[in-house]
Amino acid sequence: MQTISLIGNPNCGKTTLFNALTGTTAYVGNWPGVTVEKKEGFWNGYKVLDLPGIYSLSPYSPEEKLSRRYILDERPDLIIDVIDATNLERSLYLTTQLSELGRPVLIVLNMQDLLEKEGITIDEKRLSQMTGCPVVSISASKGIGLDQFKTEVENALEENKGPSCPLFSNFVEKYINNIIEDDYLHAIPEGRQPRWAAIKLLEEDELFLATMPPFPKEFACNLAKAHESLREHYDDDVEAIIIDQRYKVAEHIARASQVKITQKKAFNFDSIATNRFAALPLFVAIMGGVFYLSIGLVGGITTGWLESFFEMLGTNLTILLDSLGVFPLLSGVLTGGIIAGVGAVLTFVPQLFVLFLLLSILEDCGYMARIAFILDRMMRSIGLSGKSIIPLVIGTGCTVPAIMSTRTIEHKKQRELTILVTPFIPCGAKMPIFALMITYFFPGQWYIAPMIYLTGILAVVLTGFIMRAFDRHKEKTVFILELPRYQLPAIKNVWLQTRERTLDFVKKAGTIILLSSVIIYLLSSFSFSLQPVSPEQSMLAMMGRLIAPIFKPLGFGFWQASVALLTGIAAKESIVSTLSVTMGEAGITALFNPASALSFMTFILLSSPCIAAIGAMAKELGSKRKLLFAIVWQTGIAYLAALLVRALVLLIV
Amino acid sequence: MAMTMDELTVGQRACVGAITAPKQLKRRLMDMGFTKGVDIEVVKMAPMGDPMEVTLRGYNLCIRKAEARVIELR
Repeated sequence: MQTISLIGNPNCGKTTLFNALTGTTAYVGNWPGVTVEKKEGFWNGYKVLDLPGIYSLSPYSPEEKLSRRYILDERPDLIIDVIDATNLERSLYLTTQLSELGRPVLIVLNMQDLLEKEGITIDEKRLSQMTGCPVVSISASKGIGLDQFKTEVENALEENKGPSCPLFSNFVEKYINNIIEDDYLHAIPEGRQPRWAAIKLLEEDELFLATMPPFPKEFACNLAKAHESLREHYDDDVEAIIIDQRYKVAEHIARASQVKITQKKAFNFDSIATNRFAALPLFVAIMGGVFYLSIGLVGGITTGWLESFFEMLGTNLTILLDSLGVFPLLSGVLTGGIIAGVGAVLTFVPQLFVLFLLLSILEDCGYMARIAFILDRMMRSIGLSGKSIIPLVIGTGCTVPAIMSTRTIEHKKQRELTILVTPFIPCGAKMPIFALMITYFFPGQWYIAPMIYLTGILAVVLTGFIMRAFDRHKEKTVFILELPRYQLPAIKNVWLQTRERTLDFVKKAGTIILLSSVIIYLLSSFSFSLQPVSPEQSMLAMMGRLIAPIFKPLGFGFWQASVALLTGIAAKESIVSTLSVTMGEAGITALFNPASALSFMTFILLSSPCIAAIGAMAKELGSKRKLLFAIVWQTGIAYLAALLVRALVLLIV
Repeated sequence: MAMTMDELTVGQRACVGAITAPKQLKRRLMDMGFTKGVDIEVVKMAPMGDPMEVTLRGYNLCIRKAEARVIELR
């Protein structure tokens, strides 16, 4: 099967095109660096690969290295160079590098629907002549031009013709040719182009040099001479000369093939969004609005309604099953286990749907990168980068993609610190437990919910300060981020993302939660000798009592809470379902009081995330020691904070 | 001493000169399009005065003043 691979600058729409082709719903958003992993799909009988965006083949962050390694080593049959048509010049800079890989390249001008608005016209024919690549215009988000795209892909694969390589100045070309003619070049790995290798040798590209045998004496001498004379001639280092000349080629092609009429914008949202005084209040207002709309407004209406619905369902089912004479254990599993457990989780679907919808809109409109811009200064003072705010915002939905998105943070220490603190921001799955506790112990006290988020933020800040204080080698970090254009969110994208995340939640309720509810119900109905007993004598209670003493100082040293916390490791939604299954008749108010409810919430808020998120942490940290530290740190902070909260409440009340 | 990019104020335009930075940062900045002779304009400053937003080669970029300091102007 032939392989085609999508490559291009970050945020040029590769994943949108990938989704449009393969019918998948891979994660898209409007900031540079949404895709951090290679994705595979199938379209029209080809294998299609979606790679993280890169500005150049000299990569910096881990996901950029992945793109480079893939494109060099796996040698796709066709390189699809996706270009944001409104940003031609910088995109062509990457094209000048892709052209040298000895594979056919198809240039795809994406976002052609925006060209008119931006006052740009592109002469595709001229662009094609000058680059030696076929060119096709599409709009991936609107699905325009995909038929033409298909034809061009088929033609390009059939012709299998390489593009024309960019030419440097005569002076540089002379040295490139000298290297190509040298015997040493026979040592290049299979599949590498001699011209490409010669340029990399001239540039002293470390990643490439590592794949080559040591220089023979004569070659090293010639290379040093070439460097010296180039440096003298251009008054710059060789790498800079090559980059400079590549950009000259890109400028030349862009100038010849596009006409740009500068337009004046009547109003621009950015003047408020990043305004000196309005920016921060606006950010707080937007995030507050997101939570108010989803949890406060929609949640407030639907939760009570759905709760009584499931309660009614349970009661009626019990009556029905009793009248049918069904085996009591089965009827118990159905009502006391499944309906109580799964129902407790499903109650939250409407508000999570709204939360996911609003987050998708936020991600698609271009505001995320601006948040990074306005908050960078603040984030830096706690040892993080402006880019760390993106995972924190995504983390309000789900911690797993949030942790993966830290990959765009170039600096290793900042990336690891961001991974450590991201779980402090409560994800959607933790919401049910907070809502449950608030309903029973703090009804009508609106300030509790924002306090939860504030506590999470406080834990982020505190961890940042402590880590910074203990960091002996304070390294200089870099923050360079492209600010994408604002756009109206594409309805299709927003809908697909929202549906995907909501379905994920529902699926979990139907699988993990269902299973754990049944297991918990059975374990709480029998003793170790398999005699049916009251929950207090059940084997679940026995097991729970083993760990319960640990939580005694926090005020919830009873077995139900311990068991709930344990099942919470599988999925945080389980905490609520386990509590509803094990609490029995007496209900939650018999177990908790306001002080222990608050400390329970605090502990859940800050302790280690679910197993899926721990897996993501393990993968991104890449070290067992660091993972262990993160888990111990998170759980330690959670324990201390819960202790503190309980003490404070007891002191005040 | 040449003027550097971090000294520009909002709305000012300038032309990029030499970049005096370690190899990696220099390459990074050049890959993003800061090559000799390119025109840039400062669009705005972040609420706390840092980082800054500049426009070059038809797109917008945000960059910290510490990094802007290595970009000389001419």
